Amino acid sequence: MPDIKCPVNQTLSGLREAIESGRLFNPRSRRIAEEILDLLTDVAWGRAGSDHLAAIAALSDELAYDEASPGAMAAAKSIKDALGEHREVFQSHIETHNCATGDCVRLVPAPCQMTCPAGIDVPTYVNLIGLGHDAEAIEVIRKDNPFPWVCGLVCTRPCEFMCVRGRVDKPISIKFLKAFAAERALSDHRYRNPAQAPDKGQRVAVVGAGPGGMTAAYYLALKGYGVTVFEALPVAGGMMMLGIPRYRLPREVIDREVAMLEELGVKFKFNTRYGEHLSRESLQSENFEAVFLAIGAHQAFKLNIPGENDYPQVIEAIDFLRHVALGDRRAPGRRAVVVGGGNVAIDAARTCLRLGSEEVTIAYRRTRAEMPADVEELEQAEDEGIHIAFLTIPTGIRGTDGRLTGLNCLRAKLVQKDGSDRLFPVPEDGSDFVIETDCVISAIGQRVDLDCLADLSGLKWTRRQTIHTNTVSMETSTPGVFAGGDAVTGPATVVEAIGAGKRAAEAIDRFLSGIPQPKMPPVPVRRTRVEWIELPASTKMTLRRPEMPLLNLERRRTTFQQVELGYTENIVREEARRCLRCDICLRCGKCVEVCRDMMGINALEFGFLNFDHPGPTDFRVTAERCILCGACAANCPNQAIRIIDRGDERLLSYCGTILNRQKLEHCRTCGAVLGPQRYLEFLQKRTQTVSTVIADRNLCHSCLRRQSAGVHQENTPV
Amino acid sequence: MAFHRGQKVEIFRKSEDEGWGEHMDQYIGRHGIITDPDTTKNDPDALIEVSVEGKGTHRFPQDCLRLLTA
Repeated sequence: MPDIKCPVNQTLSGLREAIESGRLFNPRSRRIAEEILDLLTDVAWGRAGSDHLAAIAALSDELAYDEASPGAMAAAKSIKDALGEHREVFQSHIETHNCATGDCVRLVPAPCQMTCPAGIDVPTYVNLIGLGHDAEAIEVIRKDNPFPWVCGLVCTRPCEFMCVRGRVDKPISIKFLKAFAAERALSDHRYRNPAQAPDKGQRVAVVGAGPGGMTAAYYLALKGYGVTVFEALPVAGGMMMLGIPRYRLPREVIDREVAMLEELGVKFKFNTRYGEHLSRESLQSENFEAVFLAIGAHQAFKLNIPGENDYPQVIEAIDFLRHVALGDRRAPGRRAVVVGGGNVAIDAARTCLRLGSEEVTIAYRRTRAEMPADVEELEQAEDEGIHIAFLTIPTGIRGTDGRLTGLNCLRAKLVQKDGSDRLFPVPEDGSDFVIETDCVISAIGQRVDLDCLADLSGLKWTRRQTIHTNTVSMETSTPGVFAGGDAVTGPATVVEAIGAGKRAAEAIDRFLSGIPQPKMPPVPVRRTRVEWIELPASTKMTLRRPEMPLLNLERRRTTFQQVELGYTENIVREEARRCLRCDICLRCGKCVEVCRDMMGINALEFGFLNFDHPGPTDFRVTAERCILCGACAANCPNQAIRIIDRGDERLLSYCGTILNRQKLEHCRTCGAVLGPQRYLEFLQKRTQTVSTVIADRNLCHSCLRRQSAGVHQENTPV
Repeated sequence: MAFHRGQKVEIFRKSEDEGWGEHMDQYIGRHGIITDPDTTKNDPDALIEVSVEGKGTHRFPQDCLRLLTA
């Protein structure tokens, strides 16, 4: 079968090689070539728009204009030739987001990587950690996320929900592995910034020093832009610093990772609020050519109950957490009630406890089943002694002499309304009761502060009162103004904001370089393909996801010490080895089909291959049934499953997991390898009706033929 | 329907909501896992985060999602 190559992939590789070889010595040519490279990458990844090919052609013409550089002219000619000869293939990549040859599809990432909003190459870094290469793992992570340590502690870990190992037993503990590697790399002074592009002489303003803003700043600085981050508060970190308490995310973690941005030349201007100290005009007058708005969602919703505005002891959770983060260590009251059922409510309640509140209650309108907070956070809060009052609707604040004394409540019941399968809390008549308390903390959600952006009159808002953007390029309705993070999504996750910041940096770079924006969200990039770690099937099956050791309860109730203590090195290395390497095995199931349906062996119990209805998986079963015929390996499109002869054994390996190993038999005459006994017996059984077995002798085909020829010669009549 | 983390869902139709991007049409009929429901308010109107198998993680309006039974 002819080896068909993808012209898109070939053009991309050719141009990359031309750039890296230094043949394009004219800076202008190099810049044009890099722009073409970006556009070709879009095509190869299926995220190009209809104008990409025209832009590539126009840029190629520009590149060809450099007559002084034969390298540039040759590169331009090669691109134009490819476009001319294979235009329909390029077009097909754009329209179908597919590559018929599979060359571009080899970049298909693993489910964990696809799931990560920042697109981190999870299998690569997990396996680097498994090999003990922590600094290299951090280097891989930081190609997509400048905050590996932060995310190692507070990420909502969508990757783990999609982890294929979760279909076997429990997902890989990806989040904690990342935290370990970051801590180790920093401790070893091997946590370093990558090389920066030369200064482009262009400036970008980032408004908001939260995860989204700082991520954009990081990637823009790496691309050579001068970046200034304007922050309303006196510290960097945004919600990471002010919304997440120290017992989950120590301040030093944020400080160390923010310092890495400063090392790249990113400038921070604190206590500078957009709409008060800054405007679009003032930024333009300071020669900022693009603006990234990452102002977050810091304005709390009101409870809207009588008495809410009459007592200073009614406070908003987000303000409360902010004050504590900035150094206020006073308990809000001896008895505290937090209203709400989300993560912020849990954080506020656990913070009250640590500040010295003796009784802390969370009042929530629905039941545990509807509670939106993370289950782990809720469990930890209850362990620490926080009481949750479910089905409780606050109706008013009561107090005397300007001092709050209680929260009036009604008991709720959940009812289903017509046309909806959602349960709504409805007050029960006569169920009034009072929770006696000294303070009420409202944690019922946040929204974006619209007022501060009033000067951006052309800015379009969604009906959810968030900034309207193109979700692919993060462009707002105002040219040159981009937005991301909670200001666009509403209160969301750190990693989502990081993903938005990275996309925005890419889009701002394109905007300032005058090249078209992609039409599809970026496909995560496979950074490298780390060799797999070999281990026996029994080990792969029996390794268990470790429990996270926690700080003792007394300290959790009294201090802000980190609750999750982290894994030990041995545990980390072992946990990484549970990874199934879905970056190599694409779970097409051909191996299982051929073994079961063609060979009739059915030795591969790979129930995890099915996303919707996973069946049982046991790698150990293979050794019981497998004949090491190699049909599975021969049919694997990605060499995930391999047959290897090593010493006097034949091994069947699935992404490094040794499924079966059998002693090899050799030809008794010439010593050639015949295969394992089980395989030979299988062949004998299959062929016994058409050929006779020559005694019990193991002979290779050549020796058998020679022997048969001798027999024929003796028996053939002359 | 209140969605929870880890639930399997199908993107079974296009939504008229403004949170539905043009590129999302290709996700119709695909299955995924809820990775971040509305973690603050349990709001039926909130956009919730779904990791779509093979297509990445995106926020969807809830009216285009339906639960898959295991």
